[in-house]
Amino acid sequence: MKSPYPPVGTLSRRSASAAAALLLVGSMSAVPAAADEGGTDTLTVAMSQQVDTFNPFIAQLAVTTNILNHVYDRLVTVDPETNEPAPALAESWEASDDGLTWTFDLRDDVYFSDGEQLTADDVVWTLTTIMENEDAAVASGNYVSAFEEVTAEDDTTVVVDLEQPQATMTALNIPIVPQHVWEPVLEEEGDAFADYDNEDFPVVGSGPFVLAEHDRGQSIRLEANPDHWRGAPGFDELVFRYYTEQDAAVEALRNGEVSLVYELTEAQATSLEDVGDVEVNSADGKRFQAFTINPGAETQDGEEFGDGHPALSDKTLRQAIVMALDNDEIVERGHNGQAVAAGGYIPPRYEDFHWAPEGDEATLDFDPDAANEMLDDAGYETGDDGVRTSPEGDRLELRMHVHSDRPDNVQTGQIMEERLGDIGIEVDNQTVDPGILSDALYDAEYDLIFTGWTVNPDPDYVFSIHTCDGLPTEPGTMQGDAYFCNEEYDELYEAQLEEHEDLDQRAEHVHRMQEILYDEAVVNVLSYPNIMEAYRTDQISDIQLEPADGGNIWGQDGYWAFWSAEPAGEDAQSGAGIPTGVLIGGGVVVLLLVAGGAFFLLRRRATTGDRE
Amino acid sequence: MTATPTATEEPAGSPREDAPAGGGGRVRRVVLYVLGRLTTAVVSLGAVIVAGFFLFRILPGDPVRAMTEGREVSLEQQEELRRQFGLDQPLWAQFLDYASGLLRLDLGVSFQYREPVADLILERLGPTLLLAGTGTLLAALLGLFLGARAGWRPGGRGDRVNTAVALFFWSVPTFWLGLLLIVLLASGRGFFPGLFPTSGMTAPDATGFEAVVSTAHHMVLPVVTMVAVIYAQYLMIMRSSLIDEKGADYLTTARAKGLRDALVRRRHAVPNALLPTVTLVFLNLGQVVSGVILVETVFSWPGLGYLFYSGLHVPDLGLVQGLFVLFAASVILMNLLADLVYPLLDPRVRP
Amino acid sequence: MTDLDPRPSPAAPVPSPRALARRRRQRALGRFARSYAHNRAGMFGLLSLLVIATAALTAPMFIEQSHLSITGAPGQPYEPPSAEYPLGTDNFGRSVLDLIIWGARVSLAVGLLATVVSVTLGTVIGITAGHFGSSGGTGGRIASTVLMRITDWFLVLPTLVLAVALAAVLPGGTGTIVVAIGLTVWPPTARLVRAQTLAVEARPYVERARALGGGHTHVMLWHVLPNVMPVVLAQTTLLVATSIIAESTLAFLGMGDPTTISWGGILEAARTAGAVSAGIWWYMVPPGLAIAVVALSFTLCGRAVESVINPRLRENR
Repeated sequence: MKSPYPPVGTLSRRSASAAAALLLVGSMSAVPAAADEGGTDTLTVAMSQQVDTFNPFIAQLAVTTNILNHVYDRLVTVDPETNEPAPALAESWEASDDGLTWTFDLRDDVYFSDGEQLTADDVVWTLTTIMENEDAAVASGNYVSAFEEVTAEDDTTVVVDLEQPQATMTALNIPIVPQHVWEPVLEEEGDAFADYDNEDFPVVGSGPFVLAEHDRGQSIRLEANPDHWRGAPGFDELVFRYYTEQDAAVEALRNGEVSLVYELTEAQATSLEDVGDVEVNSADGKRFQAFTINPGAETQDGEEFGDGHPALSDKTLRQAIVMALDNDEIVERGHNGQAVAAGGYIPPRYEDFHWAPEGDEATLDFDPDAANEMLDDAGYETGDDGVRTSPEGDRLELRMHVHSDRPDNVQTGQIMEERLGDIGIEVDNQTVDPGILSDALYDAEYDLIFTGWTVNPDPDYVFSIHTCDGLPTEPGTMQGDAYFCNEEYDELYEAQLEEHEDLDQRAEHVHRMQEILYDEAVVNVLSYPNIMEAYRTDQISDIQLEPADGGNIWGQDGYWAFWSAEPAGEDAQSGAGIPTGVLIGGGVVVLLLVAGGAFFLLRRRATTGDRE
Repeated sequence: MTATPTATEEPAGSPREDAPAGGGGRVRRVVLYVLGRLTTAVVSLGAVIVAGFFLFRILPGDPVRAMTEGREVSLEQQEELRRQFGLDQPLWAQFLDYASGLLRLDLGVSFQYREPVADLILERLGPTLLLAGTGTLLAALLGLFLGARAGWRPGGRGDRVNTAVALFFWSVPTFWLGLLLIVLLASGRGFFPGLFPTSGMTAPDATGFEAVVSTAHHMVLPVVTMVAVIYAQYLMIMRSSLIDEKGADYLTTARAKGLRDALVRRRHAVPNALLPTVTLVFLNLGQVVSGVILVETVFSWPGLGYLFYSGLHVPDLGLVQGLFVLFAASVILMNLLADLVYPLLDPRVRP
Repeated sequence: MTDLDPRPSPAAPVPSPRALARRRRQRALGRFARSYAHNRAGMFGLLSLLVIATAALTAPMFIEQSHLSITGAPGQPYEPPSAEYPLGTDNFGRSVLDLIIWGARVSLAVGLLATVVSVTLGTVIGITAGHFGSSGGTGGRIASTVLMRITDWFLVLPTLVLAVALAAVLPGGTGTIVVAIGLTVWPPTARLVRAQTLAVEARPYVERARALGGGHTHVMLWHVLPNVMPVVLAQTTLLVATSIIAESTLAFLGMGDPTTISWGGILEAARTAGAVSAGIWWYMVPPGLAIAVVALSFTLCGRAVESVINPRLRENR
C-alpha cells in the first residue's frame, strides 16, 4: 500500500498543512469525529446500507454481518499476512485422514462481555441450533449443511463429525453466541425467533467490540471490549453513521465528520487523493465482475426450460462473444482504471488459487477480426442490417441483463453493447433492478446476464455453484448463476474438495477448473474491481489491512482493521463546546424562525386590531 | 414533482358544487355535508389500500432473491425467508392477512428491517413532520409575503423580479438543488467550507440543548432546499388572489375613506385574499410529500421519505405499500380538513 | 392549434359557415399572437425554447454520433472545460456539451409525449364529465360524478410515489417513463377542463346547437372542444415543465433507463460517478441548469398564454 504520509516535504509546508488541518477540524467540522472533550477516542465510519437485524442467526446483509463480525468471535479467522486460516477462538484444529472428523481446541481465556466464560458448550450450542432449528439457519445454514454431529469433548475441545468432506471447515463464518443468553431467547420467542432483533443493549458477545446503541437510520455505536483476549482495540468507540448519498459521505470525510468512507467511486477516490490528511486506499478486489451466457438451461434431469437464444448452445458463438470484448478497455472505461482485467475466475488477491490464461492458453483474447472470421466459418451470415443470422436461421439479437444498481456494470454493459455490434450481434440492453435480474436468471429467460461474487479466502462456494449439482432440480430453483454442467469439472471439484491438506495439489485442481470455465465461455469473467476506501490520517494513525499487502479495511474476513486502528495524536483533538459552524447555522435558523413568527404575530395583531 | 403553479386551478373538492341542494333545516344540511365528506374520504382511503397492495405486488422481482443476490445462500435458506415474509401464501390470502392487519393498525413487517412497518413509521414520523412542517410553514410565509407584494402592483419591477426568481427556483429539480447546496455550503470546498453538516439530523453525541441546536443546524440546508422549490406555489396563489381581490368594491370604499395604500393592502386586501390560500396550503400536502422524499434522500434525513427510498429497490413490499397508504391517507385527511374548515372561514360557501 | 377542423376545406366561392368560422378563428389567432408578443416574459420563454428546440433537432448535423458512444469517445475522462470541450468531458471522455444537446432530444420528447398523454386523458375525462354533468340526464350526472370522484382520487395520491410505482411496475425503457408521468399528472387538467366545459355549456349557442338536434358527440367536438382548447394549450405548456422535471426526478431515484442520454440520465450518471464530491462541476451543473431553463421557459410561455386568454389577468399585467 502507499505510505499514509507524504514522502518528504519541507518543514514549512508540512506545518502549514497541519495548521490547515487544525483549522479544518477545529473550527469547521460540525462533529468532531476523532475525540470529544471526555477523551473518548471514536472511530466514525460512514455507511449507506441499512442493517436488517442484529440477530446473528438471521442477519443477511453484508453491512450487518460485518458489524456482527466485531461483536462475536468465530472459531477460525484469516491471517492478514498470509491469507491463510489463523487461530481465533480455536487455538488449533485437526482433521481426520478421511476429512470427516474435525477437532477444534479452544482458548481457555475467552470471556463474554458479561463476564461468563466462553466454553465448548457455547460453540456446540450455536452450531447445533443452526443445524436443528430452521429459523436459526437463515444466516449460516450453508456452513453446517454437511454436519452430522457436534460434540464437546471437554470445556475446550469441540468435535465436528461430517457426513461428507467440506472445504470450508477452516473458514466457518459463524458467530459464536453465548448459550446462557440465547437459549432463553430461543425458548421465549419460539416461532417468532426470526423477528427477534437482538437489540438489548449492550449486546453480550466475546468480540473486540460490544454493540452498545442503535439509533435506527442515524447511527450504530460499538464500545471497545478492553478485556478482549487478543488485547484491547485502539479506539474506545466505533460509530457507524448513515449517509444515503455517497457524495454526502465523502463531504463528511473532507470536513472531518467521519474517519472512514468505503465503497468509493473512482472520481471520489481521485478527488480525495489531493486532500491533506486523507489517505486513499485502493485495495485489490475480492469480487469478480462477470457475465454468463445462457447455453440452454436444463434441470438436473435434463428437462429444458427458459427461452435463451438457441444459437448460444454453440461454443463457437460463445467464444466469439468473449473475443469481441476487450477486458482492458472495460477496466479503462467501465471502471475508470480502478480494476484489474480478468482472465480466470479467482482474483489475483488469492495468489494460490488465481489463474490467468497465458501464452497458448489465451485463446480468447480480444480479437474482433478473429471472432468475425470464426463466425463466418461457422455459418453465421451477416444480414443487410449488419446483424448476423445463425445457421438455423435465428437472428443474433441477444438480451443482456445488467444490474442497474452497480455503476461499473451499467458502464460495462454499454461498452459490451457497442463491442458486440462490431461482430454483428445486436444487444438489447436491459439495465434492471437486481430483483428483476434474478427473476430472469432463475427462469432462464435471458441470453447474457451480469453476475459477480465476492470470493472468500476459501473459494469452494464459487466453484460449487458450477457443478452439475448446481443445476436446478426443477425450473426456477437454481443455486448458482449459470446453467453450466461439465463432467471433467465435476471430477476436479470432487478431487480438490478432498485435498484439504495439500494446498499445492488443491490449487492445481482449482487452476484446471478455471481453465475449463474459460474455454467453455459460459461463465466469462471481465474484471476484478478494486476496493476503494479513504480515511483521515489525522484521526486514524495506524490500521491493519487484510491482506497486509494491497488489502482492504472494510469488509475484512477478520476484524483486524478496527481492532488494530490507533487514534492519531493530540493535534486532532478538537476544542470543547459547540463548534462555530453549529453556532452560525443554528443562529441563522433561530433568527429565521423568530423573524417569521414575529412577522406573522404582528401581522395578525395588526389585522385583528384594524378590523374592530 | 410539483404541481404547476397556475392561477386558474380551482381548489380540489371545492365545496360549492357538492353542497346538498336545498331542503331540510340548516343543521341537517350541515350534518349531511359532513357525512358526505367523511364517506368520500373513507371510500378514497379504501381504494388507496386496495390499489397500494396490488400495485406493489405486481412489482417485478422477487424480494428474497434480490436480498440474497450474490451471497452464499442455500435454497432452504431462501425458502425459510420466503415463509417468514409470508410470500409463500397465495395473493388473496396475503391481501386478507394485510387487510385484517390494517384494522388493528398493523401495517405488516418490513422485509429489510424485520420490524413492524407501523413501528418504523412512528419512529420516522417525527423527523418528517419537523422537516416538512418547518419547510411548508416557511415556504408559505415567504410565498404569501412576497405574493402580497407582487400582487399589489402587478407588472411593476418588484413583481417581475419576484415572480421570475420564484419561477426559476420552481423550475429547478429539487434533488439537484440539494446536491449543489451540499457542495457549496457543506463540503470542504465551495465558498463557505463546512458551514453546515452534510447529512443526518443530530450529531450523535449531542444531548439536551446542544441536541436542539444541532438539529436546527442540520435542518438548514434541507429546509432551504424545500422552501426554494415550493414557495413559488404560494407566491403565485397569493398574487393572483390578491389581483382578484383588488377590484373589489370594499377596497374602493376603504381608499375613499382616505386610508393609505399600504394600509389598505395590509388590513383589507391581504386578509381576504388569504382565504383561498389557506385551503391551498392544506391541499398542497401531496406535493410536500414528494418534495420531502427527495430532500430527505439527498440529505440523509432520517424520515419517512428516506425510508420510502430505502425500500424502493429491494423491493421491501410491506414498507413501501405501508408508506404509500400513509402518504395518501395524510393527503385525504388534509383534504377532509380543508373541506370542513373552509366553510367556517368563508361564510359565502357555507352549506 | 386552435384550428381544429379535421376535414379538408371545400373551396367554395360563397363563404360557407365553416369558412366563416375559420376566418373568424384565423383572426382570433392573429389577435392572440399580437397580444402574446406584448408579453415580454412569454417572448423570452418562446425564444429560448426555439433556440433549444433548433439545437436539439439539428443535433445530428453537427454532433458526430460515434463521439457519443463510449468506445468512440474523443477525449480523456473528466477534462475540464476548454476550447475543444466547452463544458468539459464526462467519465468516458465524451463532450458534456454534446451530451446536453443530444440529451435535449430525449428530455424534450419525454416531456412532450408525457404531456400529450396526460393532456389527452385530462381533456377527454374533463369534457366528458363536464358535458354529461350538465346535459346528460340522471345517468350522465352519475357518470360525471364517478369520473370526477376518480379524478379526485388520483389527485389525492402523491404524484411522485405513484409515478415511481408505475415506473417500477412497467417494463423498463423510455416509454415507461412517458406513461408513468402521463398517468400521474392528468387530474388537474381534467378538473380545469371540466370547469371550462361547464362554463361553455351554459352559453346560449350551445343551447341552440342542442335544440337544433346536435348530439352529444357533435356538441362536445364542435362546440366545447374548440372553446376549451385555449385553456388546454396553457395547461399543456405548463405541464411540459412539470414532466421534464419529473423525468429527471425519476432518473435520480434510479427509475430511468441509464442507457439513453437524457438530462435526467446525465445527472444520474454524474451523481453515481461521484462528480459532486469530486468537484467535477461541469458534469453536474449543466444538465440541471438545462432542465431549469427549459422548465422555466415552458412555464413562462404557459403563463403568457394564460394571461392572453384570460383578459382579467391581462389587464393587470
